[in-house]
Amino acid sequence: MAAAGTCGTGTRSTGSMVAAASTNNVTSFQRRGPRASGADSGCSRLVSIAGTRPSVRNGQLLVSTGLPALDQLLGGGLAVGTVLLIEEDKYNIYSPLLFKYFLAEGIVSGHALLVASAKEDPADILQKLPAPLIDDSYKKECDEDVCSHKMEPDIKMKIAWRYQLLPKMEAGPVSSSRFGHYYDISKRIPQELIETSKWHGFFLPEKISSAFNVESCSLTPGYMKLLQFIQNIIYKEGFDGSNPQKKQKNILRIGIQNLGSPLWGDDICCTENCDTSHSLTKFLYILRGLLRTSLSACIITMPTHLIQNKAVIARVTNLSDTVVGLESFIGSEKETNPLYKDYHGLIHIRQIPRLNNLIYDISDVKDLAFKLKKKLFTIESLLRAPTLFLPQVVSFARGCQRPS
Amino acid sequence: RAVSGRSPPPPAPTQGSPCGSASSKDSVEWEGRSLLKALVKKSALCGEQVHVLGCEVSEEEFREGFDSSINNRLVYHDLFRDPLSWSKPGKALPGGPLEALRALDKRTGSGPATIALDSLSWLLHHLPCPILCQTLHALSRQDSCPGDTLPGEQVRVLGLLHEELHGPGPLGALSSLAQTEVTLSGTMGQASAHILYRRPRQRPTLQTQWFSILPDFSLELQVEPLLESQPPSDLHTPSVDPTTHLTFNLHLSKKEREAKDSLTLPFQFSSEKQQALLRPGLGQATSHIFYEPDAYDDLDQEDPDDDLDV
Repeated sequence: MAAAGTCGTGTRSTGSMVAAASTNNVTSFQRRGPRASGADSGCSRLVSIAGTRPSVRNGQLLVSTGLPALDQLLGGGLAVGTVLLIEEDKYNIYSPLLFKYFLAEGIVSGHALLVASAKEDPADILQKLPAPLIDDSYKKECDEDVCSHKMEPDIKMKIAWRYQLLPKMEAGPVSSSRFGHYYDISKRIPQELIETSKWHGFFLPEKISSAFNVESCSLTPGYMKLLQFIQNIIYKEGFDGSNPQKKQKNILRIGIQNLGSPLWGDDICCTENCDTSHSLTKFLYILRGLLRTSLSACIITMPTHLIQNKAVIARVTNLSDTVVGLESFIGSEKETNPLYKDYHGLIHIRQIPRLNNLIYDISDVKDLAFKLKKKLFTIESLLRAPTLFLPQVVSFARGCQRPS
Repeated sequence: RAVSGRSPPPPAPTQGSPCGSASSKDSVEWEGRSLLKALVKKSALCGEQVHVLGCEVSEEEFREGFDSSINNRLVYHDLFRDPLSWSKPGKALPGGPLEALRALDKRTGSGPATIALDSLSWLLHHLPCPILCQTLHALSRQDSCPGDTLPGEQVRVLGLLHEELHGPGPLGALSSLAQTEVTLSGTMGQASAHILYRRPRQRPTLQTQWFSILPDFSLELQVEPLLESQPPSDLHTPSVDPTTHLTFNLHLSKKEREAKDSLTLPFQFSSEKQQALLRPGLGQATSHIFYEPDAYDDLDQEDPDDDLDV
């Protein structure tokens, strides 16, 4: 579905560009008008879903992950219909942040949400989402961060003196129609935003009856119930096109927390050779099938550091599309290493999908570290080579960075 | 502090481990049951109701050492005497350990309570690990049930785990569930507890506390003993300095710095010219194109593209 839409948008945009470029009206390039047929107005409709944009490389429809820096690392955003797997850090401090950013981005963009967890009630998770930053409040945040390293405006730059008067920062976010917003972790999302959003929650202890009998099917009952729930929502709300005349197309953002932990009933973290070792991999396979046939994107956090069997981790990585690993420095010997003293952990982009494309969209920067400031979660390149990474450094943290 | 009975309200499974220390010492048993009993005593003294699920020792042995006021607050659920329910129904806990845990879940409804599980190792051997984790999570979730949640009505869960009986899998799974993890070890006859306290959404703190338990199971916290006979364990390896062993020079001497500052750069204009270029005059456009035709340039004033029909 997304693929069909992309070729349409590609040619349409080229046509309109050329039409605009010609000065006189006598031109053979005409802009294609909007399709008259209402049934498959997929091409023009798909692009205009709020909070999405086509990728600049291959026209794939993308949604933002909530962190513009992470979007850039993933090649513009998360493709609709794919799974983003976050490998949790050891004490599970930073991966819930990425999870919350994803959900908050969904609320701000007006997408529907599906939150599944075995540990926390989804309503509680939604209450704790970060508040979005708008325009000038964001600028103030960055000013506070930068002011400790502030240069006076009339400082003499010896070599690059022509750039003295250029502003130091790029413009912050303007309105909620942008792709990718900034959030303030220290504040909670306003209640009215949650109430106006459409969300579905799946809390495992409520859905599973207390009969703990061992099922003979290969999927643990928790996973089976979750898959049925997701399928039900996708079908009922029409994300797979089954109820086409209902309303405007929208994206469903699915968030699954701590998948694979024992709280889901899966013993993949407890033993090395477990009986239900294929349960998790089957779940991911079926989930990916559900996602590919609907307008949805999914984020999963998984405690891979607890999984005993390394082969399972490799299979899980292959079954997901985008895999990002977080490694925090707490408790490890890297905490005292001066190389890492400004950061809280490393972020590893383990896999990026190759969708409708012949090449991977990997960024050039491979050594990445993250830092949790009081209000922001920033991702920066670890090695501060002076000139090599300058353009990327500026656009990563949007000016919240020491001018190097 | 986490070791004392006034531990923070959220649940706190405790991990006690007999420790064969790496250094060449006699193996000393740092047993955790006395610590568990000390914590139970503290909770009982605070006026809470204490439920104990006893699996490894008999009831008499567990109650030994407590005085009567504490014993009255202690509700003992005995799984030791008849774990498989062979005796007549009604006498022992029917249904095995899982039912016993679920009964605990329903029983504590009034006032703050402490549940002590003696031990989690026994439960791990009799129940599959995911089910145990789910049941423990349900136990500890009692304080956040829907409706009014009074801060005093929270349930604290203490569990004793023998570290060496389990592989890294169940240990990791249970410790990810726990809010506070206390690992017992010690040196030279002094018991110490390494406490890992995870606060939600904040960095976990690691703390080491030396303590000893008196015969009446009250907890005494102590300062760290002086380690003389051992090489001091807190001597960190010298921190790594990344600027050593480089093939190029990162530091400038004073003379080099002066020479660098006094160097005139090729495109360095005088400051007036800089200002003039930076701030263009009023009537000027912001950019100029200065073109000097070469000898070979063809300066045809006619536009060669005029005859194209575009």
